[in-house]
Amino acid sequence: MVKSTSMIIPTPTVDAKLPRRFADFATLVDALEYAASGIRGINFYSARGDLDISLTYKQARDRAVEIGRRLTSLGLKKGARVALIADTSDDFVCFFLGAQYASVLPVPLPLPTSFGGREGYVQQLELQLKACSASVVITPESMEELVDEAIQGCDLLFAGTPAAFMNVTKDSGELRLPKPEDIAYLQYSSGSTRFPHGISVTHKSLMANCHGNSFHGVNVRDDDRVVSWLPFYHDMGLVGTFLTALASQVSLDYLSTEDFARRPMTWLKLISRNRATITYSPTFGYDICARRVGAEALAELDLSCWRIAGIGGDMIRPEVMRNFADTFEPAGFVPGTFMPSYGLAECTLAVSFMPVGRGVETDLVDEKKLSGLEYANNGNGKKNSKGNGELNGDLNGHVHSPRVNGNGGTRYREIVNCGKPLPEYEIEIRDPNGDALEEHSIGRVFVRGTSVMNGYFNDPEATDQVLSQDGWLDTGDMGYLLNECLFIVGRVKDLIIVNGKNHWPQDLEWAAEQLPGVRNGDIAAIAVPGDNQEEIAAVLVQCRLRDPDERRSFAAGVKSQILEATGVNCRIELIAPRTLPRTSSGKLSRAKARTQFLSGGLVALAQ
Amino acid sequence: MGVDASSLTNKQIRDSICVLIGPLNTKNIPLVPETTFSIDLDLDSLTVMDLVASIEDEYEIVLPLNMLPDMENIQQVADAVEKIVKGQ
Repeated sequence: MVKSTSMIIPTPTVDAKLPRRFADFATLVDALEYAASGIRGINFYSARGDLDISLTYKQARDRAVEIGRRLTSLGLKKGARVALIADTSDDFVCFFLGAQYASVLPVPLPLPTSFGGREGYVQQLELQLKACSASVVITPESMEELVDEAIQGCDLLFAGTPAAFMNVTKDSGELRLPKPEDIAYLQYSSGSTRFPHGISVTHKSLMANCHGNSFHGVNVRDDDRVVSWLPFYHDMGLVGTFLTALASQVSLDYLSTEDFARRPMTWLKLISRNRATITYSPTFGYDICARRVGAEALAELDLSCWRIAGIGGDMIRPEVMRNFADTFEPAGFVPGTFMPSYGLAECTLAVSFMPVGRGVETDLVDEKKLSGLEYANNGNGKKNSKGNGELNGDLNGHVHSPRVNGNGGTRYREIVNCGKPLPEYEIEIRDPNGDALEEHSIGRVFVRGTSVMNGYFNDPEATDQVLSQDGWLDTGDMGYLLNECLFIVGRVKDLIIVNGKNHWPQDLEWAAEQLPGVRNGDIAAIAVPGDNQEEIAAVLVQCRLRDPDERRSFAAGVKSQILEATGVNCRIELIAPRTLPRTSSGKLSRAKARTQFLSGGLVALAQ
Repeated sequence: MGVDASSLTNKQIRDSICVLIGPLNTKNIPLVPETTFSIDLDLDSLTVMDLVASIEDEYEIVLPLNMLPDMENIQQVADAVEKIVKGQ
């Protein structure tokens, strides 16, 4: 379809007059002021790849200053929370930055992601708004109705659209600029839905991480340009693309997350057309591109410009990456473009990056070593009830297809090299007693550095559980070091990550327990491998029914209850009563349940 | 080109949505107005987005994000599509 010639032009890739600075700023405001002295900026594209809005960093800065004045004119105190329903828009960018000029904390909140689940979405918003005790809520017009439901009972100074905010507030307030130790924003991508944890990120941490990303990670060059579809409410989207690009003066092209989900090829088209060089995505983003591309679309792509395809946000699946590289090789994609990385919101974003150009490297590790379990000879050829192939009965909550070397049946798993930790970090791999381990020993990953959060917002108890007095963060992940590179093998915590989105098993279990006939303790939510070895959520339910029809409708009821409350479409597996494993203190052991289920020790009842 | 979508009846829209669901309905679940996407058809959120894209292409419309949470079954999607095409 040919559109009428538009007057909008995207911001340029190259700015010959502005010397590059790699986020060596004291605050985000300083970073923006510097970027605003150049000609680059952020561009927003439609689902079909047409340029809708171009926002130079200068324009973003000017709008942010005005928003900052309006925010202080409301009488907001320093550090007050301004919730932003984080659609992929210039308004989000300007409000996020505007909050910095008023030293109030923007809190990016999620959008709905799929069909159904209205109640669960509204409830999630409500809980997050309460958890951060927001004073202001800014929402795109399209979301106003849902947001209105969620803010019932909140004590707000303002709730409404960006336009309404500009109408009703005065631009006569004084700017209040932040200091490096001040909190810049709260990130709600961690923690359970029912008990959300907002991560407090200071300007100092943010700038340190943006410096790490832009200098040590991708080492930004003059001709670099970023294309992103990652949501602003996720740390990789917020810090990895938006804030890092801004703090290192890179032009950025945005496709909204929902448009990417519908038309993933537009992402690759934009890279090809705009000669972009840098992207980030969780594994599944590369997966859906490879699955959906047709011969025609492939023929139109020239991906030879693509320099860095960052991978992070969930466990990296090497077979997906190989498939992507094979599929797009005719379009000029080279496997060395991949850049595996490791990070978490508690560290602002990034912890480690593979060196540029190395691609996905893996280490083969004996399954037995990974699991910490000696389950000799009972794993070969066993399948779970759904027949998803060979099993990896590890304890660590991780879903990769194991490899068999054919000699004596030792099973290996490919572990992806997540690269060298950024120089700001100290890393320790610790055993269960807290003692540091040698290289190549698997243990719990602890990190310390400037990018590590100073705590969960208003939640010292949750903070103390993961952050020590001397600044060591327990990442909750298991891994090992080899030649100073970090290899992540799985998680200690029972978190379930579906398509890059974190889900806490407690939330799914709680939802199921609201059904009559389900007792507390009947349910275990675990991560299992799906048909393509991706991670999916499975819910094991102890069931006392005998009739297959009744079982089927019971399972459907549990499934829809969880979906409605949490938005997660789980696989439901009914199991016999009193079979879920417990710890010695009687608590549910999800790790054991998972191991038993995957190794065939917990058998699903017929439905 | 093609039919004028605004003259379609609700049932015609529903039937054409069922045709679009066809290739995704791997378990051959009978498609009735009340059939739900997540529970009955067991579509994951990425497959749902495939469907959204094909519905948008069929009618040359955009299904806005804020309408998705209210769409659990085929009838609700047909109603939403009808509302959009007739509003154009």
